[in-house]
Amino acid sequence: MKAHYLAKLDLDAALDPQAKLWQDVGATSLKLDGTPLGLQPTGAIRAAWADKQIGLVDNVGVKAVHDGQNLAFHLVWRDATENRNTVDNTSFPDAAAVFLPAAAGAPVITMGAPNLPVNAWYWRADDLRGHHVVAEGIGTTDTIDYKTVRARGFWSQDHWHVVIARALRVDSPRVAQLDASISSGFSVAIWDGSNGERAGIKSFSGDWQALKLGAAPAART
Amino acid sequence: MAKVKRQLAMMMDLNKCIGCQTCTIACKRLWTRDEGMDYMWWNTVNTMPGAGTPRDWEEMGGGFKDGVAQAGRLPTRREFGEAWEFNYQEVFYGGKGKDTHLKVVGDEPEWGPNWDEDQGAGEYPNAYYFYLPRICNHCTNAACLEACPRKAIEKREEDGIVVINEDRCKGYRFCMEACPYKKIYFNHAKNVAQKCIFCFPRVEQSVAPACARQCPGRLRFVGYRDDEEGPIWKLVEKWKVALPLHPEYGTDANVFYVPPLAPARIDEDGNFDESQPRIPNEYLISLFGEEVLTSLEVLKAEMAKTRDGKTSELMDILIARHWPDMFGDFTRDPATIKWVEA
Repeated sequence: MKAHYLAKLDLDAALDPQAKLWQDVGATSLKLDGTPLGLQPTGAIRAAWADKQIGLVDNVGVKAVHDGQNLAFHLVWRDATENRNTVDNTSFPDAAAVFLPAAAGAPVITMGAPNLPVNAWYWRADDLRGHHVVAEGIGTTDTIDYKTVRARGFWSQDHWHVVIARALRVDSPRVAQLDASISSGFSVAIWDGSNGERAGIKSFSGDWQALKLGAAPAART
Repeated sequence: MAKVKRQLAMMMDLNKCIGCQTCTIACKRLWTRDEGMDYMWWNTVNTMPGAGTPRDWEEMGGGFKDGVAQAGRLPTRREFGEAWEFNYQEVFYGGKGKDTHLKVVGDEPEWGPNWDEDQGAGEYPNAYYFYLPRICNHCTNAACLEACPRKAIEKREEDGIVVINEDRCKGYRFCMEACPYKKIYFNHAKNVAQKCIFCFPRVEQSVAPACARQCPGRLRFVGYRDDEEGPIWKLVEKWKVALPLHPEYGTDANVFYVPPLAPARIDEDGNFDESQPRIPNEYLISLFGEEVLTSLEVLKAEMAKTRDGKTSELMDILIARHWPDMFGDFTRDPATIKWVEA
């Protein structure tokens, strides 16, 4: 997938999933699968989910734009229930994350590995803040801060529309640093709160998808 | 399984519990008054037989069977019992005291943390019930700890107390599903799971947990399981009268109970009927396992000894004439410590 180049990306505007700029960008459709039961890290989770479907969301439409400074992803997926709040012990919020490798060879299937971190830009329906997350293996996610990643979601007509954005380069050692001249990879995960999805119980797009940042048009002389 | 150097334990004598809830309030005032904790009761006392807290918790699953984790389900807030709001303003200050009465604001409650108090089972004159106080069991093989995908739950090496690290907890609630005793609550304000901490800040200062020290019935004993001079070892290992609740849950609980003896049954003619127990054996076995029958026999035999004027070490321990003897190494008066709020 190629992130569409814009000369100037107004992040405040782009965070609105309905903003006009998104209408001019083509979407890439990614098939999502539930995470394998065998990859769930504890016996109790495997026992609880042995007879339940993991990952109800099976497709996500992804768009991306950048201006050489910031990168924004636009995600759309079908979800018949808007789960914004944790109203009871049994309710979980809908959520989404874009994963990026923070080291060459970092495996996304296992959420990174020791010294091979994976960076997640995470949005959750009950939180106005974007979560900047790093992981070096299953069960190791650390939220670095709640300000570097910006995210906003909007639910309408059985669909979530979510924008997640961050500066290409940030002052943090263990996260993805992006550059228009190099290609990277990305992966997407969606959690359907109505199905009790949280942690490793989610839909995901599998191994890294190619991510290229579109170049600025050559300056005319 | 987490390895610990020593294991703290509590032992509760169900023959002495009067259901006064002093333990419950001692815990409430000390630990669960912050934001999001209003519906939490880390210590509960329920009438048995009964549905308890959360409602029908014994049917919710979790724990281990033959070492394999079992599926459990999450208790809802209503199953625990909401922290009800009452119309105090209206009744006491709104000038409507003669038109209305004190009642819960909002939905009519359907359950609470002590909803079926004193209902019990059986028919007059052979009705029966007893009180069952419960805290976190600080299990040796803790299902909550095993279930957490983030290793946010630790079993303290020095004393085996099971604690949730709220900095690592992400509020996923797998621990609540996995705990077969359903003794973990979810804090909706802080998005973390919370539970009994065996008063570890007190224990670290040689002070017994508040529920134990405050108990007017002198039924809660505290100590290390390997302390052969302490009451826990004597009751659990030497006399074998103290048993864990639902041992079949497979978590190796570290809270023990002396099972309840009940008065003799009354027959149709109004005479004592000793041929069968008032509390059915099957019921007690369902709670404490087959060993409960031996425990009851030992208790009866030792009680008979003292009735004959003989001495019984077991009865002396359980009577607890000398109050501090109940708390092993944890006899310090908390009033002698200057506590600082973190």
